[in-house]
Amino acid sequence: MTIDRERSALAVRNADALVFTADMYGIQFDQLAALAGGERAARAAVARWRTLGYADSARLSPGPAWVWVTKAGLATCGLSYPPAQPALSRLAHIRAVTAVRMALQSTAAYQLARPFWRCERRIRSRHGVGVRQHLPDAEVHWPDEAPVAWAGECWAVEAELSPKTVARTTAIMREILVRTGDYGCLAADAAVPGKPARHARALYVCSSAAVGTVLRARAELGPLAARIEVRDLPRDALL
Amino acid sequence: MTRFGGRRAGPGYVWHPVRRALARGLGRLVCVLLALAAIALLAPVTVVAAGAAAFGWWRGWPPRRLFAAAAWCLPMVVAWLTAVAVWPVVPGGTGGRPPGGAGLWLRVLAAPGRAWLAMLHLAAHGQLAAAAVAAAPPAVPLGILAGGLAWAYRIMRMETGAGGLTPAAPAAFDARQWGHQVRTATAMLAVPGALPLISRGGDVVTGATIRSVAHRAGRAAAIPYPRLRSHQVVIGSTGTGKTTLLLRLWAGFMAAGLRRYAAGGADRPLLVVLDCKGGASSRKVADRARRVLRDAGARSTAIWPDEASLSLWELPPDRLVTTLLDLIEHGTGGAAYYSDVMEALVSLAVGAPCGPPVNSADFLGRLDADWLSAAYAAAGDAGAVATVRSGKRAFDDVSLRFRALWRRLGAGLDGGGSFADADAWYCILEGTAESAVAEAQARALTDLLASYATGGGREILLAVDEFSCVSRRLPIWRLYERARSLGLAVQVSAQSWEGLAGSDDERYRVAATADGGIWLLRTPRPEPIVELAGTRSFVDTSRRYSGAGSWEDTGSSRARLVPVLDGDIVRRLDVGQAAYIYRGGVTYVQVKRLTGRQAALAPAIVRDAAPAVMRDAASAADTLPLPLPRVWPGDGADPPSPRPWPLPGAPGPVHVPDASEVLDEAFGARRE
Repeated sequence: MTIDRERSALAVRNADALVFTADMYGIQFDQLAALAGGERAARAAVARWRTLGYADSARLSPGPAWVWVTKAGLATCGLSYPPAQPALSRLAHIRAVTAVRMALQSTAAYQLARPFWRCERRIRSRHGVGVRQHLPDAEVHWPDEAPVAWAGECWAVEAELSPKTVARTTAIMREILVRTGDYGCLAADAAVPGKPARHARALYVCSSAAVGTVLRARAELGPLAARIEVRDLPRDALL
Repeated sequence: MTRFGGRRAGPGYVWHPVRRALARGLGRLVCVLLALAAIALLAPVTVVAAGAAAFGWWRGWPPRRLFAAAAWCLPMVVAWLTAVAVWPVVPGGTGGRPPGGAGLWLRVLAAPGRAWLAMLHLAAHGQLAAAAVAAAPPAVPLGILAGGLAWAYRIMRMETGAGGLTPAAPAAFDARQWGHQVRTATAMLAVPGALPLISRGGDVVTGATIRSVAHRAGRAAAIPYPRLRSHQVVIGSTGTGKTTLLLRLWAGFMAAGLRRYAAGGADRPLLVVLDCKGGASSRKVADRARRVLRDAGARSTAIWPDEASLSLWELPPDRLVTTLLDLIEHGTGGAAYYSDVMEALVSLAVGAPCGPPVNSADFLGRLDADWLSAAYAAAGDAGAVATVRSGKRAFDDVSLRFRALWRRLGAGLDGGGSFADADAWYCILEGTAESAVAEAQARALTDLLASYATGGGREILLAVDEFSCVSRRLPIWRLYERARSLGLAVQVSAQSWEGLAGSDDERYRVAATADGGIWLLRTPRPEPIVELAGTRSFVDTSRRYSGAGSWEDTGSSRARLVPVLDGDIVRRLDVGQAAYIYRGGVTYVQVKRLTGRQAALAPAIVRDAAPAVMRDAASAADTLPLPLPRVWPGDGADPPSPRPWPLPGAPGPVHVPDASEVLDEAFGARRE
């Protein structure tokens, strides 16, 4: 029995998808199918993960079931995130961010440059508890040697489903653009005059309900508005 | 035959007052002594009973909670009796076997007596803790039950006016109990997790129950979700916690609705709030509502007209004509002629062969005789062309009125949004400052919502606050009837009974059709609601005054009907306390406040560097949903250009490489 278990533990299907799922808190089945290359492959992968105890699944929202990585799965992936089922109130946001990541990953430039997607869960795991700072939904770190014009840049990604107030959105944009330190750094290093900004630009991917507020907030920024990119959410990003 | 202990003696015997008093005193003394002996004999039970009754009094509990506590002790009793029954028989040594048959039942029946004897023996040897443990299994449930009965008897005596030393005692008892019940409910609010927004049964929890009359209420005051899908009325003066209650109800509607939607049992919920007061306070409430609703699961909350807009032009053409005409005030008598002319011209503009207008500019552009003549002539509609010619002189007037209307209405109804775009809409109408504009907006918004509701697919709750400010053109009872026909739930809130509607007839009509119940917070005139709440049977006892300084225990009782809702309690309600009236019963609730997550602050380093005036504006802007009008130092000076945010390491214009290649491919064109 032990030998069988060890043998089966080696045969993790779609290990990249498992890490992806762990990074994104959880993933809905249709998005996993797109990631794994088909519904059949996704079903097989989920079944395998469940057998190994690496993942769990349930129907948490309308639409396909959700899959998330368990404590054992996180340990296997070498990730030290606190294990948890995706929060019901965040499902829509998680799906939107996942759709943004998949849309960006599918572009030719992304596949060519192979940047690093630093997810919110990873940022949060380093971030101190109780510190009131806004965390972006993700950071995209483009390698210095990447054959693109924006090589070496770090982007902050924000998926906006619901409109905040214009003042609040403007404050978040400014906070992102003037930040110099990494998340989790000392408070004194967070925004130091004279140091280069951490995020070269902020990418706002918005729903139709939020895009008006984001555009108005960007207009309030003055010269900094040039570093804000506003785009529409992919069609299948909404729950 | 002699009656032993009878009050009447033989013929000729006369009761003397002194002998009578002595006999009565002796009788009472004997009774007291017997009671004391019984109390001493059953000490464990009586001690627990006294404790339970005292605890019920201290916490203001209804007796049924003590009975429930006694019932919860039954598993302990069953376990104890089982242990007694199956414990091996040890006749003078170790080892043995369990008894069987009749021996088993005898042991079970004798168990309480043996426990009592064991307790006495242990107590006699000074082992008080062991004595308490030995007596606990039978004594605790029996004691709590006896305490509950005693507490119920005490309450019954006080409620009927038969208890206490003086006739004023019941009122004092009730006032004290109210204080105890409020204290218990307030303490429950402070317990983390004791009052979730949604109960396990899917009901919406509004707070902790203080007291209930003719309602069966638990510790948490919860109402089923379907009642939020019915009409409700909320009345409360300023500063009584009305907004807190409304936020709780809205969040509960959203959370419960989303849960049902996720389970496939209902359509997605939609909350539409019409705040008819306007001003800064409405915007603060809007911001709170957004935070609370977000925590309740709402994907998005749109604030109209500050941050989101709707499109009036999405109405069906026939409905659009009616709405446009209703937005303009008409006269009566001779002015009816002009109304007819306006109706004809607006119908022609909306029903032009090229389709209905898409925005106000399009509509105003069509109010032109030449344009309409050409449009209808091209379609071969000679009748319409003739109508245009006959009304040619009125075009300028009609166009002028609609231009003025759209200038006053602003862009809130001229955008491209729809109620489908968000889970919640908070619509702010400036009913206090600009009542005429707010009336037109209210009319348009309700028409838009009615049109959207006919499409189905959403469970809609329309909450209107101080609707009487804007109800001149749309009486609230008509809104009610319209909503009822469309399957919308309407929640009307006002600061007083008078603010509920324009006339008493309308007020009664609104309150009487509140199928989902009436929420009443502190208000100086609760009488109309008291009358609507209904009555209950009540035993009223009078007591005879002996004239010697005390009241005797003789008197008479009669049943009569009294209001279910106590108006004096309503007048004395504290902040956050509400009376929920539903189907002839009342539950007094201490409302649990919902606090949405606070927005994070901007970096302190930049905030500190800003001038004082700007810092104030920025801090206010963090809490308000709108950019505030900034106040600049200096008299009459032009406002300076916006101060650029200090960008570390990159002062001056910002240049970033063009990344459109990847972004266009991933997300489409850039939004400007």
